[in-house]
Amino acid sequence: MSAIKKFFGIVWSIMGVGIIPLVIMQAMKEIAAKPSEENWIFWSIVIVVLMPIISFSLITFGIFALKGEYDVIA
Amino acid sequence: MAQKVTNVSQTEEISSTRRVIAASSVGTLIEWYDFYIFGTLAKIISEQFFPKDNPTAALLATLATFAAGFVIRPFGALFFGRLGDLIGRKYTFLVTLVIMGGSTFAIGLIPGYKTIGFFAPAIVFALRLLQGLALGGEYGGAATYVAEHSPAGQRGFWTSFIQTTATLGLFLALGVILTVRQTLGVETFSDWGWRIPFILSSLLVGVSVFIRMRMSESPMFVKMKKEGKTSANPLAESFKEKDNLKMVLIALLGATAGQGVVWYTGQFYALSFLQNACNVEFVQSNMIISIALLIGTPFFIVFGALSDKIGRKYIMMAGMLIAVLSYGPIYNNMYDTANLKTKNEVAEKTTVETKEAVKGTDTITTTVTKKTFDDGTTYKETKKLTVPLDEAKKAELAANDKLKPETKKEVTLPKSLYYKMIGLVLIQVIFVTMVYGPIAAFLVEIFPTRIRYTSMSLPYHIGNGVFGGLVPLISTRLVEASKEPGYSNPLTNMINSVTGHIGTPSGQADPLAGLMYPILIASVSFVIGMLYISNKTNNMDVE
Repeated sequence: MSAIKKFFGIVWSIMGVGIIPLVIMQAMKEIAAKPSEENWIFWSIVIVVLMPIISFSLITFGIFALKGEYDVIA
Repeated sequence: MAQKVTNVSQTEEISSTRRVIAASSVGTLIEWYDFYIFGTLAKIISEQFFPKDNPTAALLATLATFAAGFVIRPFGALFFGRLGDLIGRKYTFLVTLVIMGGSTFAIGLIPGYKTIGFFAPAIVFALRLLQGLALGGEYGGAATYVAEHSPAGQRGFWTSFIQTTATLGLFLALGVILTVRQTLGVETFSDWGWRIPFILSSLLVGVSVFIRMRMSESPMFVKMKKEGKTSANPLAESFKEKDNLKMVLIALLGATAGQGVVWYTGQFYALSFLQNACNVEFVQSNMIISIALLIGTPFFIVFGALSDKIGRKYIMMAGMLIAVLSYGPIYNNMYDTANLKTKNEVAEKTTVETKEAVKGTDTITTTVTKKTFDDGTTYKETKKLTVPLDEAKKAELAANDKLKPETKKEVTLPKSLYYKMIGLVLIQVIFVTMVYGPIAAFLVEIFPTRIRYTSMSLPYHIGNGVFGGLVPLISTRLVEASKEPGYSNPLTNMINSVTGHIGTPSGQADPLAGLMYPILIASVSFVIGMLYISNKTNNMDVE
């Protein structure tokens, strides 16, 4: 079980890192195609609020899992 | 004799716990009421304070809607959580109640944009932020306070009463608004009557503050303080110490993020889907949600109590998994239930009425088409075309392709389909109660008493405010994106292949596209929760 937890630790970290360029590229593509206020607000919320939370928490969580911090959970 | 003394002491303990639950729940319910009336009256508030022709005011309106929901709530969680771990639970969640009540009352008194100009939206925006801040501090305090009063082995049951308050707060808000609207009439309500629900809050908060003032501090906090074990810096201890930070992360990623999206999908997205994708008439769609919520609410307590017996993890994870697997079929069924293309029209009952009137500088042509279908469903389509009398203006609008009618579609379901729709929403509400019922007990039990308020509040408000709060925004966006040529949604493709439906034609919105966001978040949360969360019910004694 702890090997699976550690393996998934790598998966979470990769997801956390991978989401950053994906979201930014999608935002740039959509804003360039239609630079409306609505688009700006939506992508600002995603980039400023949602993405940092997802990335930071997945990367940190993944590193902890990889280090075996969650092998024994109370 | 000894047996008698034990029974008396047990009865006193239960009665004291009940008082604690009642006092805490009433306050939390009122905070939710305050928070929801702003959202429910958003249209009127927007007309009064945020005129569309002023771009800054319109931007403030958008920010007021979103900022209070997800940016400010986590800050409130940190600010008041720290305070609660330093000075105590009782006074902290008393302060959040007063701030929430004061802000709500003040919103009801602010003169409109027409009277004080830009100050009106600016003040409303500031007060809305205060509401978000107070809400961020309230929940953690109430859950911690109740859990620290509850006997071991019954925390899931007792804290589940706090879990019902978010739903009951919505009921109270809708009930007060509908009663005032009914009593005063729509016009007076839109003019000044909308202020009454806000002003009424001061009365409700006053009663709740009085009740809370008479409550004693949490016994665990008192014991900890007496022993000098309180944290000197709860924020640093919660988020800088690895052992606590890793629990904050697991609470967020393995529980509250998934719970937040399931909660918002079942309670709010379902309504939006009924009204926008299925075009179910306004009152009927609200009734469907209200009845489903009313029937589903006791299940918060059922699953809270059950989590004391079989553990929190499996109930929450089962809720997430079943939600992920069944959202597609449920929403597909909801769509089909109201889909007119699958029904046979009774042609002889179709009526078309057209009226033309001159209003100010415009001619307004209203065309109402009414259709009846063989299963009893009725459909009303109102097209309103506004054409300027001025020929030059008319030509300009026509050139810009802006001479289009506003179309309002209303589907009214017959009794049998109405009940079926209630059933489909109720299933989702049950998922909500599975993930949300035990979560307060789960969160309070994974953190030590000295930093409990701070540590549990943040993942709760990020999970619900950010992950859950963004469901309407992101899901609506995904539905819009599905109109793009070449769009393909794996969920819809799978459902179509199973049911034999033909996919949505290119250029038309895919009604199921919006579900991809909650399904993705809940799936990740489920995997993390299953792998890393323990099903053990923790002891909460002062460490």
